[in-house]
Amino acid sequence: MIDRDALRDFYDLYYNTLDDVRLDDWPALFTEDCIYRVIPRENYEAGYTLSTIYAESRGMLVDRVMGLTRTQMYAPRYYRRFPGPLRIVARDADSVRSRHNLLVVQTLIDKQTEIVLSAVCHDVAVRGGEGLLLRERIVVFDSEMIPNSLIYPA
Amino acid sequence: MDTIDRVWPRDAAGKVPYWVYSDPDVYAAELERIWYGPHWLFCALEAEIPNVGDFKTVTLGEKPVIVVRSGPEEVSVVENRCAHRGVKFCQARKGHSKDLLCPYHQWNYSLRGDLQGAAFRRGVRGQGGMPADFDPKNISLRKLRVEVVNGLIWATFSDETPPFREYLGERFWQHYTRVYDGRKLEVLGYNRQHIPGNWKLMQENIKDPYHASLLHVFFVTFGLFRADQKSATEIDPTGRHGILIGRAGKQEANDVTSDMRTFRGDIKLADPRIMEAAKEFPGDDTAGMITVFPSVILQQNINSVSVRQIVPTGPGGFDFHWTHWCYADDPPEMRLRRTRQANLFGPAGFVSADDSEIIEMSQQGFSHAPDEDALVVMGGREIESVEHMVTEVGIRGMYRYWREAMGI
Repeated sequence: MIDRDALRDFYDLYYNTLDDVRLDDWPALFTEDCIYRVIPRENYEAGYTLSTIYAESRGMLVDRVMGLTRTQMYAPRYYRRFPGPLRIVARDADSVRSRHNLLVVQTLIDKQTEIVLSAVCHDVAVRGGEGLLLRERIVVFDSEMIPNSLIYPA
Repeated sequence: MDTIDRVWPRDAAGKVPYWVYSDPDVYAAELERIWYGPHWLFCALEAEIPNVGDFKTVTLGEKPVIVVRSGPEEVSVVENRCAHRGVKFCQARKGHSKDLLCPYHQWNYSLRGDLQGAAFRRGVRGQGGMPADFDPKNISLRKLRVEVVNGLIWATFSDETPPFREYLGERFWQHYTRVYDGRKLEVLGYNRQHIPGNWKLMQENIKDPYHASLLHVFFVTFGLFRADQKSATEIDPTGRHGILIGRAGKQEANDVTSDMRTFRGDIKLADPRIMEAAKEFPGDDTAGMITVFPSVILQQNINSVSVRQIVPTGPGGFDFHWTHWCYADDPPEMRLRRTRQANLFGPAGFVSADDSEIIEMSQQGFSHAPDEDALVVMGGREIESVEHMVTEVGIRGMYRYWREAMGI
């Protein structure tokens, strides 16, 4: 069984990686055949597949990072992620399904810090790599109106 | 109407003064003369309200409205403002109801917006009650004219707006019906973002193919929309509507891409499924981006189809509502393909995030220089359709029409 401490350690690693903008290390925290979606709550609840960010493999996450670092144009900004308490929903010998809230805030040059996403993450972690990997991560955000762009991953 | 104390630059077709993006008096006049004037505004997909009593709330210009299926073959659009005291009484995004009820004093309207009853109209135990001249038959929510055209619901505040097909013009009717051909549509999902720039910048963005070949590294690199490929930039006879037509090519170094600082010959996708396109429309064109003035962009780029609605919130910002859709008879793999390709678009899109960012940066750049002008002379000063994308003709056309509509 994957215990709670192992899962918490994994999330510390996950959020540190993103907050430190070590984007090239981020896809390695997922399995090869992972599902990753950042999806508006209204789509999720209606059963619509359309997501604001949608990936069906680690390769698509690698491409996201490539887009962010090599093709996209955007104003410089800092992102910071604030995960909430962890709730374990189900587990078996090799995987654990859990939920936690997530607040993502951004700060642009000369601007006050603002909320980008107020969300809940529905995740499935499995053993792999040097500890755990995400096989599924669905970030369901309440935010009705994204403040212009969603640049970095959640 | 009030006159606006602004003078257009002498180089009438070649320049756009920056006050059009920031002057509050100009914005107020735009709401009256354009948004509430003789123009069709996009409301919703018919598929969003399939059953009698289904409704959706949206905003047209700055006015909240309710879009409701009031009969099996009838859609009504009414202002979301109680005729009694002005309450925006319907707060849900979507829902189903047998009537429209304001909770404040329980004024009750039919699905067509006619007042059916007002609580305590005849008083309570002989006390109070409405005066003798109060007649519910004379009271209704404000009703808009509506047309449902091949799955999309359009409304207008004005009695003078010509029928929708005439409003588009025959050439653009052909473009419209290439994708909206009468087949049933289904919602794939929504994206919503607030873009801190003037609403016209969004129209201009999709009327300007010149930038697409330079700003959008993703387009340029993977050849989805690039200046060396066969393309066209068309406008309707009034200049207000436009379409960018493109034909996808390859990731290749040639005389044109060598002129683009943003072409990246070495990038490879780790998982190229996002770029797997299926031919589904007649002809060889792979993109048709239609701007229907003033409220909406009808997107078809490879298999990603969406309706992008503009809701202005002041001179310096607008809400941008994306409704991605699919045909109701699409097989699962086509839905998946459209879902994948949507990664290019929306607030996190490989391509569209460039646009929302550049619009914010535009507003930041010129909002404090109202008396300076933008230059829009790429491709000359002519205002007619061309068979390429190295042009700003779509912007010139829109402002020729805008000046006419605004009386400036």
